[in-house]
Amino acid sequence: MRGFARSILRRRLAVLGLALVAAHLAIALAAPLIVPHDPFKLLDAPLEPPGAAYLLGTDELGRDFFSRLIMGGRVAIAAALAAGFLAAFGGGLVGLAAAYYRGLFDDVVSRLVEMKLAIPAILFVSLFVTGFGQTLPVLVFVMAVIKMMGVIRTARAQGLVLMEQGYVKAAILRGERGPVVILREMLPNVADLLSVEFALRSSSAMLLVSALSFLGLGLSPPTPDWGLMIHDGLQSIRSEPWLILAPALCISTLVVGMNFAIEGVADAAGLEAARGTAGH
Amino acid sequence: MKAMHRRSLLKAGLAGTAFLAALDRSLGLAQAQAAPKRGGTLSYAQLSANRRSADARNARHPYFVVDANTRLQWNCLTWVNEKLDVEMELATKIEPTDDRLVVWDVALREGVRFHDGREMTSADVASSFEYHRRNAPFARQIQRIETVGKYVARFTLETGNAEFAYILAEYNSVIMPAGSLETIGMDGIGTGPFKIVATDANRSMIMERFDGYWREGAPYLDRVEIHNREGQQESALNGLRAGQFDAVLTIDPRAVQQLQSDPAYDIETARGGYSFVIQLPKHPGSPFLDKRVRQALACAIDREAIVRVAYGGKHGWIGNDSHLMVTDAAFVPRPGGRDVAKAKRLLAEAGFPNGITLPTLYFSPQLPEVPRYFQVLQQSVKDAGITVPIEERPNDGYIQFRTGDNDLSKGNFHKFAMTAVGSRNPGISLFRMRGANVESGHWRGPEHDRYMALYETAMVTRDAGRRKAIYAEMQAILHEEVPAILPAGGDTFLVKRKSVRNMPYHPQIWSIRFDHVWKA
Amino acid sequence: MIVAVARRIALSLLTLVLLAIFVFVATEIMPGDALDVTLSADELAMIPPERLAQMKRELGLDRPAAERLVAFLAGTVQLDFGLTIISRTPAADIIAYPLRNSVLLAGAVLAAAIPLALALGVAAAYRYRRALDNAVSAGAIIGYSVPEFVIATVLVILFAVLWPLFPATITAATRDPAHVLLAAAPLPVATVLIGSIAYLARILRVGMIEALASDFVERLRLTGVPEWRVLLLHALPAGVIPSLTAMALYAASLVSGIVVVELVFAYPGLGQELVRAVTRREVHVIQAIALSSAVVVVGLNLVADLAILLLDPRTRR
Repeated sequence: MRGFARSILRRRLAVLGLALVAAHLAIALAAPLIVPHDPFKLLDAPLEPPGAAYLLGTDELGRDFFSRLIMGGRVAIAAALAAGFLAAFGGGLVGLAAAYYRGLFDDVVSRLVEMKLAIPAILFVSLFVTGFGQTLPVLVFVMAVIKMMGVIRTARAQGLVLMEQGYVKAAILRGERGPVVILREMLPNVADLLSVEFALRSSSAMLLVSALSFLGLGLSPPTPDWGLMIHDGLQSIRSEPWLILAPALCISTLVVGMNFAIEGVADAAGLEAARGTAGH
Repeated sequence: MKAMHRRSLLKAGLAGTAFLAALDRSLGLAQAQAAPKRGGTLSYAQLSANRRSADARNARHPYFVVDANTRLQWNCLTWVNEKLDVEMELATKIEPTDDRLVVWDVALREGVRFHDGREMTSADVASSFEYHRRNAPFARQIQRIETVGKYVARFTLETGNAEFAYILAEYNSVIMPAGSLETIGMDGIGTGPFKIVATDANRSMIMERFDGYWREGAPYLDRVEIHNREGQQESALNGLRAGQFDAVLTIDPRAVQQLQSDPAYDIETARGGYSFVIQLPKHPGSPFLDKRVRQALACAIDREAIVRVAYGGKHGWIGNDSHLMVTDAAFVPRPGGRDVAKAKRLLAEAGFPNGITLPTLYFSPQLPEVPRYFQVLQQSVKDAGITVPIEERPNDGYIQFRTGDNDLSKGNFHKFAMTAVGSRNPGISLFRMRGANVESGHWRGPEHDRYMALYETAMVTRDAGRRKAIYAEMQAILHEEVPAILPAGGDTFLVKRKSVRNMPYHPQIWSIRFDHVWKA
Repeated sequence: MIVAVARRIALSLLTLVLLAIFVFVATEIMPGDALDVTLSADELAMIPPERLAQMKRELGLDRPAAERLVAFLAGTVQLDFGLTIISRTPAADIIAYPLRNSVLLAGAVLAAAIPLALALGVAAAYRYRRALDNAVSAGAIIGYSVPEFVIATVLVILFAVLWPLFPATITAATRDPAHVLLAAAPLPVATVLIGSIAYLARILRVGMIEALASDFVERLRLTGVPEWRVLLLHALPAGVIPSLTAMALYAASLVSGIVVVELVFAYPGLGQELVRAVTRREVHVIQAIALSSAVVVVGLNLVADLAILLLDPRTRR
């Protein structure tokens, strides 16, 4: 374990990535405690310049921009992590089950995966948002489904390898039932793989949810959200460029940080993360 | 009486030509060394599109994107000038034939040609208004339209209307070549200074100078390109700065602030501009059936905050829940101002002591300030315990979306939604709150009937002072009844490059003329 | 060989049929039907049932779900996606030209991205774990981590506003010829290009690293084949072939990127129509867009699979 930590620390980009992610998470968690102002309240004239009263000035509605910026990652990050977790866990189980049961179930799953991979993420979300409404639970669910498909592929491939392992064969010979074999014997052995998948899928979900918000298909105002902030900031692209640049920097540092960290950690652990980016 | 009225209309006609002459003179002084130049292309982006039919089937019809291009492609019988006074356009004289102001004779300008070379006659006027009276809300009061001579058409109205000449200037009411009700207007042929060369539905329209235009020497431009950038002000302004557009219409005060110090551009202002009506549906089950809920909402909205945020303070004004603009002499401010405590009390009386959650309020980005306007509104009513979800819908198809089934017999299901309200004379503006109009949320009841009775009296009252008193009484009814809410409004602007000359803005976007716009 | 090809084609067709069913079920059967989707919850609560039933009859939604599904599939085969709810216009008419325009944009991006990504991927793999490789790898991560709408915005500020080299907003018409649209589109293409190069270079790098480390490359080197021949004529095909599937899958994310830039630059493509349709709840237009882009993606996957079959003898079993 210590060797693993040292191996990560040797990778400068990985350290940078982990630091960025840690900083973002800390700010997002502490945000309600550290915001100087109510991020929803119309405090002052709109578009006040940065100054003593408002660190980054006010936004186009006269709300404290700094407070909104700090709060702006919370909902998106939570949504992305939730989707990433559901995708990794659900996808892992389905993929392993497909590897275990093979046959018709495997065929159906493989077909579904291929099918989904053929629909661009934004279209997939559009279909569901149109059908079920543009609410946070719907968004998380849809993103989880989208991101799950790549995980199923990876987990299934790994599951097929595991099926050849002695302890899995032994468990099957002992007469253990399918779910038991999958949960007890196979799942623990793909835990590190699924952890990487969780991180990868979360980072790409973060990109997706921001893009959706920017397009008006994701989170809705008045939620403080970086994607929405960039959309609104376009109006003052010349006069108050920080209204765009600050949230753009936030999203970019977070996602770049996540990917540097994932790459470094996976590399140190001997896992191949590069292949996994297919879910991007 | 009749003679006097005639004289006033005649005067309006004269005032029109005098006004244009004065305009030319003032421009001559301002740009003494630069005489108007012929030729060139004006390419502009429009941010506001008042759309009826959203589809791509016919982008040439006057009911498609009805705004700035109304006077490019077509003409109406009358025109409302920048001061909101009526002038003659394709008509030369409009006069009532009876004392009740119900039957009106309209004499037409002779020798006016359509883009296809045909001469415009009373048959075209009759055919056009057969269509308009069925399809345009403002023209529904016309009961019958006949030809009296080759150049005279006779209109018979439902009830007398002293301000009928204004109705004829409305945006839908253009004169099209005669045709069947199914096909009229589809070819996009009008009498206007420009004719269509190409259209890309929802996106752009390209027009060229019409050489046979009836106004002597006009237009100056050879070509006009209209690019639709509704809801995308930043994209339009980027295009302006990158030299792709010569002008952008209906920019918001925030853009004005950014552009006014830039020596490359001129800003033209239209005072009064637009406000927004929020229709409050009153069908069974709606919370707005209860007058106290409507009053509470009217009291809870922080109208000053809307003016401050959406209009940068000085360019906005507080609405009075009627369709009148603050620039109108008949405008009576809403008494009382914002009163959160009163709003809470009213809600408690209505059975919502812990606040109320209203249905979703829909808006469309008809003007760039709209999203901010409604976000402020949403945030401000929270103080009174009112939760109102808001949702943006595209302009495209918005009229159908908002009005829904605008049929009283079918239950008239329409939405809790806003729409833009342009500057008009008080008669037309106050008529918009009639129960038959969806904007009033199909308001009914004794107070509505009293309101309409007052309206009908006003319309046949020739004394302007007495009319104004009646208008005040009508507004008092609205302040008490709150059939709909018009929280605030503001000036509208256009920005143009310095090289574009003589392009004044107009508080009614459909009344902008490009006849004498030219490029240096 | 022929059997393998036929199997691939059949599987692609099956995928498309399943997709069509899925699209229909997700949009029309699970939430109710097209009308339920179009109306808001408030309206559904307020409109009396008999009026709703009448509206459904008018739109043909009173038929059982299975019957509507069959009608939908039959229509889809004939490129008839139904009429829009609001304006009663054929959905196919609405998307035809935008589809062409988006494909054009995607083609331009790929035409530029593939050679550049190849060069970067090969160079990085050749200099595995050295400065160049590290720079390419880190650059690639940054390239696909920064959202397209951020890149687009920055490019507009730089190259359209501050230094007006390119149009900031596209004024070309939907039905303009291809070259007019492309001439107006350097910034949208550049925006998607950055992410595309990053993504593809990464895939190719991995493929190339494996190929360069393989025994047969080692053998070639030992037999004295010149290094450039080893790299370009032997390792390159071996590295690219396994990456083809991943590259074809990239088509799906390419579409997502294109939707975003179309909105930012007002490019008259499917992205504009998609967002318009979603905000208007025009189910049939969304279905048409989803299916037509799926056809493109499935088609590309098929091409990739067939290419692998053709180029890689091991798969011809």
